[in-house]
Amino acid sequence: MKKRKILLILALMVLSVSLVFAGGKKEEPAPAPEKKVEEAAKKPYEGVKMRLAAMADQFAEYMKVLTERYKAETGADIQVDILGYVELYQKMTQDYSTDTKQYDLATVDIVWSGEFAVKGWTVDLTPLIERDKAEINTNDIYPVMWAMGSWEDKQVAFPMSGYANSLIYRKDLFNDPAEKKAFMDEYGYELAPPETMSQMRDMATFFTRKDKNLYGLVANGARGPAVAQDWMEYMRSFGGQILDENGNVVIDSKECLESLKFFVDIFDKWAPPGAIGYWWDDRETAYRTGQAVMQSSWSIARAGYEDPSISKVVGKTGMAAPPKVEGKETFYGVGGWGIGINADISKERQEIAWDFIKWLTSPEVQKDWLLHDGQPIRISTVKDPELNQKMPWLPVMHKVYQNGDGDYRPRVPEYNEIQSILGLRVNQAITHELSAEEAISKAAEEIKALY
Amino acid sequence: MQISGRRTIHLFLLPITVYLIIFFLYPVLFELYISFFDYSLGSPKKFIGIKNYLAMLKDEEFIISLRITSVFVVSAVFCQLTFGLLIAILLNHESRIMNIIRTLILIPTVFTPLVAGLVWKALLHPDLGPVTYYLRQLGINIGRGLTVERSTALFSIVMIDVWEWTPLMVIIILAGLKSLPEEPYEAGRIDGASAWHLFRYITLPLLRPTVVVALLIRTLDALKIFDIIWAITRGGPGTATTVANIRIYDVGLQHLRIGYASSLSNVLLVIGILIGVLFVNVLYSRKYGGIR
Repeated sequence: MKKRKILLILALMVLSVSLVFAGGKKEEPAPAPEKKVEEAAKKPYEGVKMRLAAMADQFAEYMKVLTERYKAETGADIQVDILGYVELYQKMTQDYSTDTKQYDLATVDIVWSGEFAVKGWTVDLTPLIERDKAEINTNDIYPVMWAMGSWEDKQVAFPMSGYANSLIYRKDLFNDPAEKKAFMDEYGYELAPPETMSQMRDMATFFTRKDKNLYGLVANGARGPAVAQDWMEYMRSFGGQILDENGNVVIDSKECLESLKFFVDIFDKWAPPGAIGYWWDDRETAYRTGQAVMQSSWSIARAGYEDPSISKVVGKTGMAAPPKVEGKETFYGVGGWGIGINADISKERQEIAWDFIKWLTSPEVQKDWLLHDGQPIRISTVKDPELNQKMPWLPVMHKVYQNGDGDYRPRVPEYNEIQSILGLRVNQAITHELSAEEAISKAAEEIKALY
Repeated sequence: MQISGRRTIHLFLLPITVYLIIFFLYPVLFELYISFFDYSLGSPKKFIGIKNYLAMLKDEEFIISLRITSVFVVSAVFCQLTFGLLIAILLNHESRIMNIIRTLILIPTVFTPLVAGLVWKALLHPDLGPVTYYLRQLGINIGRGLTVERSTALFSIVMIDVWEWTPLMVIIILAGLKSLPEEPYEAGRIDGASAWHLFRYITLPLLRPTVVVALLIRTLDALKIFDIIWAITRGGPGTATTVANIRIYDVGLQHLRIGYASSLSNVLLVIGILIGVLFVNVLYSRKYGGIR
């Protein structure tokens, strides 16, 4: 009896210990080569199970449909887990740094490229791209898209969904003859989508009618990546930079300060009251509910404005390249998501993951992807006549991609810390906890301390 | 079968001892160990002695976060105690309706704090929230919104915490009230004491141990606040709701500076232990009418 008790206690101990070490995921072996040869005619990856961590952007839901299609074609079962921006970064960095192989594939934000490359977290795809460049048709991919994953001589993610930064505006209001006349009377020039920042200022002021719950311009104000990333879009329009070409910290420039003052004005003068706490979805809601007249946004949100189930501005939206400050030649902002392969998984699984990436970014799938909330990386997709008929805003995206800058948010290994610093300091400026000058100076001091 | 002997007792204690060593002692010791290193996730560790502890003296944000944590803990726990005491006295009558109310009042406590945070985030949404709407309809000036104005953001977090945890205070105090002996009250009434005198000189002193335990539980819990704030303001606007745990989270899981984040956590741990020791001393101290 005593022996049995001892055994029971030992069993419990083993159970406890096994629970402690149960964190990692046992890597499932890829099918044996012989088996693969046998079934090659049918489904080459039958029985393979993989996991993909996807950013909870508009494209994520359709990714599940696409992985089902991929499973039907190849047999590989890729489970898609959809995660928020902050959660995705944390989960992936923890997975990569502790080698737990929770995920085989993950979407990689353009700005994580440097960090992922330096730390060797995702597979350098350069040799695979070189090997399969004819199949991929690399010439069909916009050059700016390679920023999604490139760092020095490595390509640690493959471009998957390219976002064009653009000006979104209410074309019904901009084209309204009464509004045009009133604007002309007040400002002395014609009301049209702003091309310069001072025009944007005038139009934001003109359209802000708080008594009618109408606001001229909206941006993200919530502390963290939301406010940091939105401010950097305006910073780029003003010709400012966080780091110069040689990697020097140059945020304490006149251009950055001017852009921050403009950004503070958005919240003080032209945005809905709550914008100071907005994340991306809140900002989009403010636009889709007709509260805001203009916003600087990513092209991924464009199709949603025409969906009556979530938008009150169906048929009323115009899209243009973002305005620039007068006299400065600036590029347009390009962002988006690449897709990377966990460097810890076996070579066999890496090959299957690479096959999925090639399939997902192939011209045929890209077209379907764009029709279902995805974003393109290929010139042929953006030029496709059928897609252009359904999405008349594609030429604007083409213009942005051709003159795009994927580096205005510095894709350096320290990006996440830079963003965290800006997330606080810019938020302190718009909430007037600090003046714009103090915020820029503190941010510069802190970013310089990283180097 | 007879269970006897020290060996058998130790054997039975072994699983929980192993559990505590693995899940409690090891993490605490490891945290202490890595707090002496410059350690970022994905980079090698470098021993730096007590530099992390010295760095926090100059860490303006951490110092601010300790101040905000103190304001939060004191105001939230004070409100919870006051409301908890009042509601417990109101509910301290036996009737069917009281039984129903006592059950219903627990609902907020059942919510996971993160869910409670998300629900309140929607209710207090600066543009679309129903609470915001009615407050504005009543002509109350809430600026751009309770959760986004620096002057009211922490207040709204305190309010939500009070909403969620006052019921727990009520239940603990109610249990204390139910267990009070009847004799001192009878003696008091014979001596002509008024209801206020009975409350002030009999109920309150007898309730002291219960109140101290409730305060200890809630104070330590409030010190750990994170989820509600994470769901609603993420420490903003500016640093208005950056409590210590938000700062530690930023350092550890945003900047991935695990070594420095560990040293900050250790400071919070020491503060928690000191508060615990203080309350336990009060609980056992005769001077304060304690239970020893």
